[in-house]
Parts: sequence; C-alpha cells; structure tokens
Amino acid sequence: MLYSTDRILTTHAGSLPRPPELRDMVIAKANGAPYNPAALDQHLKSAVAEAVRHQAECGIDIVNDGELSKTNFTDYVRWRIAGYETRPSAGPRRLSITARDETKFADYFAANPRARPVGPPTMPVCVDKLRYVGQADLTKDLDNLKTALVGVEVTEAYLPANTPGTIEHWMLNEYYKSDEEFVFAIADAMHEEYQAIANAGFLLQIDDPDLPDGWNCLPDIALPEYRKYAEMRVEALNHALRGIPNEKVRLHVCWGSHHGPHHDDIPLRDIIDLIFRVNAGSFSIEASNPCHEHEWRVFEDVKLPEGATLIPGVIGHCTDFIEHPDLVAERLVRYANLVGRENVLAGTDCGIGTRVGHPSICWAKFAAMAEGARRATKLLWGRS
Amino acid sequence: MRGSIDRILTTHVGSLPRPDDLIEANRAREASEAMDEARFQETLRTAVANVVHAQKDAGIDVPGDGEFGKSMGHRVNYGAWWSYAFRRLGGLEFGAPGPYGRTPRRSRPGEIVLTSQDDRRDRQRFAAAYSDPESGVSMGPRPTTGPVCVGKLTYIGQAAVAADIANFKAALAAAGIAEGFMTAVAPGTAYRFGNVHYRDDMEFLYDCGEAMREEYKAIVDAGLILQLDDPSTATGWDMINPEPTVEEYRKFAMVRIEALNHALRGLPPDRIRYHLCWGSWHGPHTTDLPMRDIVEVMLAVNASAYSFEAGNVRHEHEWKVWQDVKLPDGKLILPGVVSHATNVVEHSELIADRILRFANLVGRERVVASTDCGLGGRIHPQIAWAKLEALAQGAALASRQLWR
Repeated sequence: MLYSTDRILTTHAGSLPRPPELRDMVIAKANGAPYNPAALDQHLKSAVAEAVRHQAECGIDIVNDGELSKTNFTDYVRWRIAGYETRPSAGPRRLSITARDETKFADYFAANPRARPVGPPTMPVCVDKLRYVGQADLTKDLDNLKTALVGVEVTEAYLPANTPGTIEHWMLNEYYKSDEEFVFAIADAMHEEYQAIANAGFLLQIDDPDLPDGWNCLPDIALPEYRKYAEMRVEALNHALRGIPNEKVRLHVCWGSHHGPHHDDIPLRDIIDLIFRVNAGSFSIEASNPCHEHEWRVFEDVKLPEGATLIPGVIGHCTDFIEHPDLVAERLVRYANLVGRENVLAGTDCGIGTRVGHPSICWAKFAAMAEGARRATKLLWGRS
Repeated sequence: MRGSIDRILTTHVGSLPRPDDLIEANRAREASEAMDEARFQETLRTAVANVVHAQKDAGIDVPGDGEFGKSMGHRVNYGAWWSYAFRRLGGLEFGAPGPYGRTPRRSRPGEIVLTSQDDRRDRQRFAAAYSDPESGVSMGPRPTTGPVCVGKLTYIGQAAVAADIANFKAALAAAGIAEGFMTAVAPGTAYRFGNVHYRDDMEFLYDCGEAMREEYKAIVDAGLILQLDDPSTATGWDMINPEPTVEEYRKFAMVRIEALNHALRGLPPDRIRYHLCWGSWHGPHTTDLPMRDIVEVMLAVNASAYSFEAGNVRHEHEWKVWQDVKLPDGKLILPGVVSHATNVVEHSELIADRILRFANLVGRERVVASTDCGLGGRIHPQIAWAKLEALAQGAALASRQLWR
C-alpha cells in the first residue's frame, strides 16, 4: 500500500474494457457453451498484458488485470465456490441494486431495461457447506498479472475480489440456519482467495458495493435497522480478512454502478464509521458523480483511520463526458486539504471500463485523471 | 428581468420532455399524415398549460413553455430548438443533404469555415464511440436531409409564434405566474444550413437575423422574456477542422454576435437572455472551447442575462472564470447547476455548493440557478423532473446560506 509521498498517485476501481473476442469466450465458458480453453488462456494472458501496458501509458500508477477473466466483478464467484445448486430464475439477483430507485422511477426503468444490471438467468441456492474451489482460476489470474507486470513501469498492482455481503445479493440460502451463519460461511470460503492474493504480493482490493448499496436493495429499510444489517456484514468481511495486514488491503465501496437516478443513495456520513471499521489500509469511495460529489465535506469532521489513505473517485462512469483535468485537480485538492496530500490517491467512482459508453472513453478518462493528478501535484507541492 | 433579490431564483434552458400524445401528433404532422389541425392545436395548448403548472409545482420560478411548439416527433431529440426555425423561414427548400451528409470542409488560417457534423474534431478523435449505436453517445434518429436556402430569407412563422405566445401566456395566467421565457434561435446558429442563394456569407447571416428579428420582436412585444439560443458561439470551435487559433475563432464568433445585436436593435436588453452551450450530446466533449476563451464574446451580446453550462464534468471547474472576469453591472448569470450529461440526479447540497461558488464571485442577487441545456429529448422525463425538483431544493438550500 502506497502513499502519495511526493505526488498524487493514480489508480482505478477495477473493470477495464474487454476485447470483444475475449469477452465472448469468457461468457461462453460461464454459460457452459463450447469454447477452446487453450485459446482462452492464451487470449487472456495477452489481453492482461496489453491492459497493464495501456494503464501505464495512460498514467495509472497502481494497476490491475482489468478483471478480464471475469464475467463481472461479482458473478465470477459462482465458478469459485461450491456448495450450491443453480435453479432457473426470472431474475439474476435475489437483491436488486435498483430496487429503491425503482419505487420512484418505475417509468424510467420500464423504458430502459438495460438500466438494470444483467446476470445469468439462474439463481444459485446454497444447499451444502460452502467451500472455495477457485484455486485454478485464481492462480491463472495471479500468474497473468505477474507476467504482465514484467518490464512495465508501474508503482504497484492490485487484484480485486468480491465480498460476502455482495455475494449474498445473488445466492439464496437453504443450508445454513441463519443469515449470519450463511454470510460467515461465504466469508470462510472467500478467505482463501483473499489470502492467496495477499500471499502473491499483490494489494488485495475488496469490492464491497453492498456496504452502501444494500440500502438500495432494501427499499423499505430504515437507517438504524440498515446499520445493523451492514454491521454484521462488515464483521463477516473482517472475518474473511483475518490474518491479512491492513496495508495489504484496500476497500472499494460504491452505491451500485447502474446508470439510474440514484435519487435515494444512503449518505456517506451515515455509514462512514462502518466503512472505516473494515480492516483495510486504503478506502476507495465514489466522489465524482453528482449524487456524491458534495460528500468531501464529510471529511471536515471525520478523520481517516490512523495511517489510512483515501481514494476518492475523481472521474466516473455516470457520464461519457470526459472530466476536465482542472476539475480533477480541484477535486483532489479539496480532499488533500482535509486529509493531507500524502493520504489522497486519485481514483474512479467504480470500475469504468465496462460502464462508460465505449472503451476509448475509458482510456481518455484515465488520461484526464492522470493529467488532473499532475495539476493537483503542482498545486499541492508547488512543482510538477 | 427578475434577479435573485431575496433568494436564489430558478429557471432552466427551455426544452422539457414532451408528453407522448404530443410527440405522436408531431411525428404525424412532420410526416404530413392527414390530421385534424384543430385537434393538434388543442393537444399542444393542453400540453403547454400542463407543463407550466408542472414547473411551478417543481419550484421553477421563471418557467418556459417547454419549447412544446417546437416540433419533436421522437422521444430522443437534440435538435428541435433549431430545426423549428426551418418551418418559420421563407427562402428555404427541403431535401438537401443535412448536417451529417455534407462534405467535410477544411479550414486554413485566415479562412475558417464550419465542417460537416461527422468531421467535427471530437467526432474524429472518438470516431469509434460516435459511430457505435450501442455506445451511449447516440443522438437518436439522424435527420437524413436538411434545408437549403434558395431565395432571400424572410420570416413566415407569424402564426406559429403567435400560437406559441398565446398558449404560453394563457398557461402563465392560469398558473398565476408573471414572468416566463420563450426561446428563439440566434442567426449565427440558425443559418448553418445549405445555401445556394447568397453569394455573400454576411448578407446570408444578416438576412437570417433580419428574418428572425420578427420572432424576437413578437416574443418581447408579448411581454415575455426572450431567450436567444446560440450554441454555435461555443460549438463552432469543434466544428472547425483543423483547430484554429483562439484569436481567429473569437473574430469568427464576434461577427455572428454583431449580426445578432443588429437583429436585436431597439429591443430592450432587460427583456433578453442569452444561452450559450457546447452541444448537448452525450459525447466526450474533449474539444470544447474553454469558457475563458469565449466569455467576453458572450458578454458582448445585448442581453441582460447569460445562461451557460457549469453542471457537467467538462465545464464545472469554469466557475473560476468569474474570479477575473467582471460581470457588467446590472447583468445576471444563469449557470447550469443540474445537467443532462448524466442520469444521476444532482444532490441538493452539490447544487447549493455550485450556486454559492458563483454567488460569492458575482453577488447573490445576480445568480439565477439553471440547467446546462434543455432537458427534453435528452434524458428520461422522470429524471428530468427529478432534476428540476433538485434544482429548486438546492437553490433553497443556497438561499438559506446566502441570506441567513
């Protein structure tokens, strides 16, 4: 885990654009359709290498594998844990991150079915003790990223992994006696993935949209009840992170990256203490979209945990307009003035590669972020 | 024109989502399908009455007619604010290549010209994104043809503008609202269609202004605030390929502003506001001209209020322009503090932050909170209205801080 010691470092939240051929193969594999495993492995290896190079060229300091082996940041876990059976399902998720918005914006969602996240038309149902079976796939991810980093100048590399609370969005439980037992069982299974990523020497990014967006999934829940809901899941996550030093972990939270109105997202202030309770050294939050941009003020009176860094989103997926570098710099300086320049890294609201309108827009946004970080560095250190 | 005397007032740029029955009626009318004209007018009148009430309910202080009299025959539409004028100008013929079908034109120093739509510099830079129908940059159905000027331009929209005015004034009276605005396109923006009649571009431009003047005058004479829509002052920059020098571009833009001022001669600036924007499509906008480079040109318009984008990620930082540019005495700014650029509804605290930044620089009385551009045709109706409500809430929040 790095600090912006002498300049503002840049990173991003995960997803990068997929080459179409690779995407087709990954989806075929996930759907059980015929595909050529050797060709997929080969393609993946070269695509990850290309993605790392491209990040470096755009000025990203802390890079990843773009999640290229995965259908998306969450569903990939289906192929990495056992103890469930799949059943036909009308929708892909037990919990929908658009549920709260849909109560007020039904017409919008009816007119834009793509505004809802898509996923496989089956529902995993836990019917046995959950266990991690993703070793082979995970090893490939680790190896591909290691190989890709050879000869490329970047500061650090991370690999993302999903969280118990988010996995729970799409898995039903018929085996464990309580929600808590179920969520902790997911945590035990995922612990193996977390540990392996940290052991491989990578920064582990924990993708926990559930911590804020569980609120969106449960339209009728009130704040005190929601905090209890989230608290238990934070404990489960910390259970999954046991034994991994904080500085090896960064937490990414977001409010669900769909392109809807986000009219009733839970305020950061209401959950910031829970976010900081996660055993991580670095915290990535949405801060560039107009529902959360004003929340830099939270840090006027909330302190970062000792030694922690903050990664505010200074570019985002909610618009295809490319952020002006001066706006990026303005945002970074606001945070730096509150939490200290060395504790701020420039990031993205969420993974943007598959969420903006086109791959070229993703890369242009990265370049704008890097330029904005240079301008912020100049303002904060008085030099470039 | 009302300033924010004791609280921050709200308005918006013009276009609002049309109801489905009006869109269908417009589509049929545009396609010259047989229809009952009286019934169409009734549909329009009712829609305008409803949209004025809805703006009042949303907390908009200075409403418009939603540009409902400017025909939009499809839910997604980025061009009605301009294309309406084609039916109000005599001297035009239809069926010529539209803005997309034209041959690209290259500029040279000392001779800058507008190129075709597809040859715009942002479109060239992001050609794959712009040409991918799934990319999200899509602007809905492209007009395949456009008008061409074949004779002296004259104004023939008297009946249309009279109907717009009557509908809007009736709606304002019914809602008990004293001040409302109506949009009309400025000549420099309007005249960007084909031309085989005029040999002299200036004569073409000034005749367009002279024709449109009749519409401007009608709106002002009716007691409404005239809003001049003139995006070309900013968007022309991206439409000149290769990129010209800023100095040369400002001259190019100033010529058009002078033509506009000529068309406005004798009309009271106090009844006129001016809208500048960088084009409301959902593209990367990396070739947008910085506000700093065009602000003096904008302020040269004989208007008393200026509306511009400030609520999207390409222009949000430009509030800083007002740190060293002086807003002339007696004038207002109408910055965009909510935007069509994203479906995400702006948080009222962010809106208040944005308003405060402007108010602290130019004075609270001189800021009226507005939108980046029209919301109709560019964003889902439910989201558009949620944004207008957020705008009013944000303005109220800012007012509490500015007048505490």
